[in-house]
Amino acid sequence: MTAGAPIRYADLVLDDRVHDSVYTDPQIFEEEIDRIFHHGWVFVGHEGEVPEPGDYRSRELGRQPVIFARGDDGVVRVLMNRCTHRGAMVCPYERGNSRFFTCAYHGWTFRNSGGLVGVPHPEQYGDSFDRDALGLRPVPRCDSYRGFVFASLSVDVVPLVEHLGPRVLAEMDIAGDLSPGGRLEVTAGVHKFGYGGNWKLQLENSVDGYHITHLHRSYFRIQEERSGRDAMRFATAASPALVHSLGNGHVSWDLSPAGFGGAAIERLRNTPGWPRDYYDLLVSAHGQARADEVLSHGAGHVAIFPNLVIIASQLRMIRPVAVDRTEVFIYPTLLSDVPPEMNEERLRRHESFYGPAGGGATDDLEVFERVTAGLRAKVDPWIRIDRGLGREVVADDGTVSAQITSELSNRAILGHWRRVMSGEASVRLSPRRSTEE
Amino acid sequence: MLDHHGVEQFLYREARLMDTHAYDTWLELWARTAHYWIPCNGDDIDVTRHVSLVNEDRPGLEDRVQRLKSGAHYAQDPPSRLSRVVSNVELDQDSSPDALVVHSTFNLSAHRRRRLDVVAGRVTHRLVLEDGQVRIATKKVVLVDNDDTIMNLTYLV
Ligand code: FES
Ligand SMILES: [Fe+2]
Repeated sequence: MTAGAPIRYADLVLDDRVHDSVYTDPQIFEEEIDRIFHHGWVFVGHEGEVPEPGDYRSRELGRQPVIFARGDDGVVRVLMNRCTHRGAMVCPYERGNSRFFTCAYHGWTFRNSGGLVGVPHPEQYGDSFDRDALGLRPVPRCDSYRGFVFASLSVDVVPLVEHLGPRVLAEMDIAGDLSPGGRLEVTAGVHKFGYGGNWKLQLENSVDGYHITHLHRSYFRIQEERSGRDAMRFATAASPALVHSLGNGHVSWDLSPAGFGGAAIERLRNTPGWPRDYYDLLVSAHGQARADEVLSHGAGHVAIFPNLVIIASQLRMIRPVAVDRTEVFIYPTLLSDVPPEMNEERLRRHESFYGPAGGGATDDLEVFERVTAGLRAKVDPWIRIDRGLGREVVADDGTVSAQITSELSNRAILGHWRRVMSGEASVRLSPRRSTEE
Repeated sequence: MLDHHGVEQFLYREARLMDTHAYDTWLELWARTAHYWIPCNGDDIDVTRHVSLVNEDRPGLEDRVQRLKSGAHYAQDPPSRLSRVVSNVELDQDSSPDALVVHSTFNLSAHRRRRLDVVAGRVTHRLVLEDGQVRIATKKVVLVDNDDTIMNLTYLV
């Protein structure tokens, strides 16, 4: 591809295949940062990470540094991490708790809600100096749902609930309602790892039902030996489990047809100790019907375009660094108001698979690097994503469903990617909508 | 149980077994009841509320070894080539005749596929006697970069 020539995205992502430059071309990566990460909704963090006033996390929207902070007023904000004086980053730490952010350069001091409260030696500024107008800049758009906070660097975006859509919102409701307390606690630290490869490899892989029985067999076979249960059954080509395309590039797994939820409820009810206690707590918090509904749905598995994945016991944030370099931050989640042993067990199970020393996710990273190496071979530049093509079922609400090992997930993510990148339908406000307003 | 020289020899032997991927022999160094811990995001986290990089009892250790030997743990296929220096071996005052608490440091070069990683940290072993043999009851590894991005820690540290 000639550098600088306009990229024809419609030629790169077809119904059944995708061109390798989508994962390897630095110019495409620059345009992704601009169009997807600097102009659309991006996940910033979960309110459960900053439960106390003054709690903050440093984050990036694409390449732009922001502070994700709960102010002394209890409000969670996303502020640009840049001094309004001469531009120094005011918060150099990844996380902490502070009432103020004081810039190291000349000492301008900002409240954790953004307001400028201190300017050393102000005498030279004169009467026109308007301190109130010089607070840390809030991100142009910020909204949240069930504690999931998203931001956009462009004001021209559809409302967040529209970007997510009802099915993603329902998944977030379930993620919250699996706690008797109705909310996730995201205070259990973070596994940070990365790989030499494109960010979309991790996004697509997070809802890739086809790879489980092969790539992860070293992990799951041992699980099977220990538990006596068929741990990979849900991901065989005969499994009734489904993958759904929820629109706007969001994809979920639905394991309930494979009987996962029902079996889980039975196990909880019949196991004395924390499992039975948890079940009872959930019923008394949400009522029998809702408790059984969320449990039979099971813990979610949802990829939310472009950078968030909600998986059973974790939030996964994907951070594009370069066309061939990605960081993955995995935040294990704890349930609120449950027996402590339950959260402990949740953490131990998480650790055995995830993280840089885990037995499962490390094999995913290994194949991302092998894909990146393989894509240097250019005789046939196409990547096939046609598994299960033509076997999808479309529901009335527009949700497209297929068997769990179908590559519908790749087609859904990359199809949306193509629309955003080529400016067809997008993260931006649609014309119809702007005339309404 | 062991004098200072004996403790050093034990740690060097463990280092060699890890460097050479002698998984079964390494596993034999551990006590029947064991705990292997690599904290994450800090050195003294509360494991009941905070995730670790590794937090394994004896069955977890056995799983790890079985996985590494399976031929299908791709993150170690091919295996990293390893060489580590163990030093600063110090017997803690908390040691008793039947349990030695030993501090040490290590510096590990890990080479795999044209990338050379340096891994460094402080280790505390608790060594006990079991059937007349010195065994590792607990091992805690405090990595200098336990709060930073780590690419691949699937070999033994
Ligand atoms: S740049 Fe921040 S106070 Fe001057
Ligand atoms: Fe995977």
